[in-house]
Amino acid sequence: MTLRVLDPTQSAHGEAPRLAPPLASLEGAVVGMIDNAKIGTGRLFDFIEDILKKEYRVRECIRRRKPDASRPVPQPMLMELRGADAILAATGD
Amino acid sequence: MSAIPEFASTVHEVADAAEANELYQRNGWTDGLPIVPPTEAAVARFLDAAQLLPETVIGIEPVRRRSLTAEKVAIAAVMAGCLPEYLPVVVAVVKAMCQPEYALHGSTASTGGSAPFIVVNGSVRRAIGMNATHNVLANASRANATIGRSIRLILLNVLGGIPGQLDRSTLGHPGKFTFCIAEDEEDSPWLPLSVERGVPAGMSAVTALQVESPLQIMNEWTHDPREICDTYAAAMRSNMLLYSIWEGNYAVVIPKQHREIFSAAGWSKRNIREYVYEKARVRRGEWRGVGKAAVAGRKDEDKVYCALRSPDDLLVVAAGGPAGGFAAILPPWYGKKSLAVTMAIGA
Repeated sequence: MTLRVLDPTQSAHGEAPRLAPPLASLEGAVVGMIDNAKIGTGRLFDFIEDILKKEYRVRECIRRRKPDASRPVPQPMLMELRGADAILAATGD
Repeated sequence: MSAIPEFASTVHEVADAAEANELYQRNGWTDGLPIVPPTEAAVARFLDAAQLLPETVIGIEPVRRRSLTAEKVAIAAVMAGCLPEYLPVVVAVVKAMCQPEYALHGSTASTGGSAPFIVVNGSVRRAIGMNATHNVLANASRANATIGRSIRLILLNVLGGIPGQLDRSTLGHPGKFTFCIAEDEEDSPWLPLSVERGVPAGMSAVTALQVESPLQIMNEWTHDPREICDTYAAAMRSNMLLYSIWEGNYAVVIPKQHREIFSAAGWSKRNIREYVYEKARVRRGEWRGVGKAAVAGRKDEDKVYCALRSPDDLLVVAAGGPAGGFAAILPPWYGKKSLAVTMAIGA
């Protein structure tokens, strides 16, 4: 006599998220940067933007700040980043 | 005996309850405490008691879009040690926590380490033997303990709130194991919390609020209701200075000894809320006295911050043992980012 017990876990529905293929080069690229509204993200992005432009010759950085760190990026904000070749999202405190 | 429905969950075969427990412990499917094996028969019995089909979606977590099905909720309730008749209460809590204003994902994932605090109102409390008196914030009742624990197991197993993974709590607090109480409606002169928050009288309901650890206060040396409220407000000011200054929902759990003082003075819950609203305020510059000088000066130090956006932000709950001038303040996870939600049972 055995017990038949049920698995309590649930995996995500749908296709698993995956990274977009890497760009061959950042030269001339447009990079979107989503600030997650944490206190240090603005400064971190200042450094990264500087490096991207000076060392990797990125053409433009489009920076947007989420209204709330605990909630997803609003759809209109995502749409503003549609033209970007790559997008960075920061996390952390 | 209930017929066994078709379940979506993977079935594991084990020799006995002890082996089931070891399997769940090994896989990280528990809070560290032993579980009751969620057999197909037990889960079917729970769903039957609540008249739910396994595939019924109880709620969808709004950020990661995870569906919480009746099957997974019932599995967690069995594991936690519930009786089948508790399941409608657990279901109502899940529905409440899936409302967008509850911010379930953010509060679960945050380093802040908060826990869902659940208050149950209505006749269901007595029907399932919930505790509203002695030791109310801790152990005393199977229903209190296991309903709260069910929610933790759901967060862990269905939403992936695993410590160090999605749950990034720095410290957490003991309420994360279980934190569920009943309001002492029979021995209170006041309207039940659920009725104040819009649920028709006579209907059972739950209220969920994401809280940090409770701050216990003591004031046994006055019969002036204002002085009792001064002590409550001082605890809230302390939280504003030491933890988070941001306004939001606070809860105060008021025991019989304090309720008698308020009652003798003719004070309702509203009177308490309005008084505390005026008193629970700090000046930004006060941060300097608690080691936060670096942040105090970033803005106007004479600016006054309120703990509550309005008197209604304070949830006043009648509960606790009959003797002792103690009360507890439950501070919010992070200001108004997560708000209390009240949900009728069976809604």
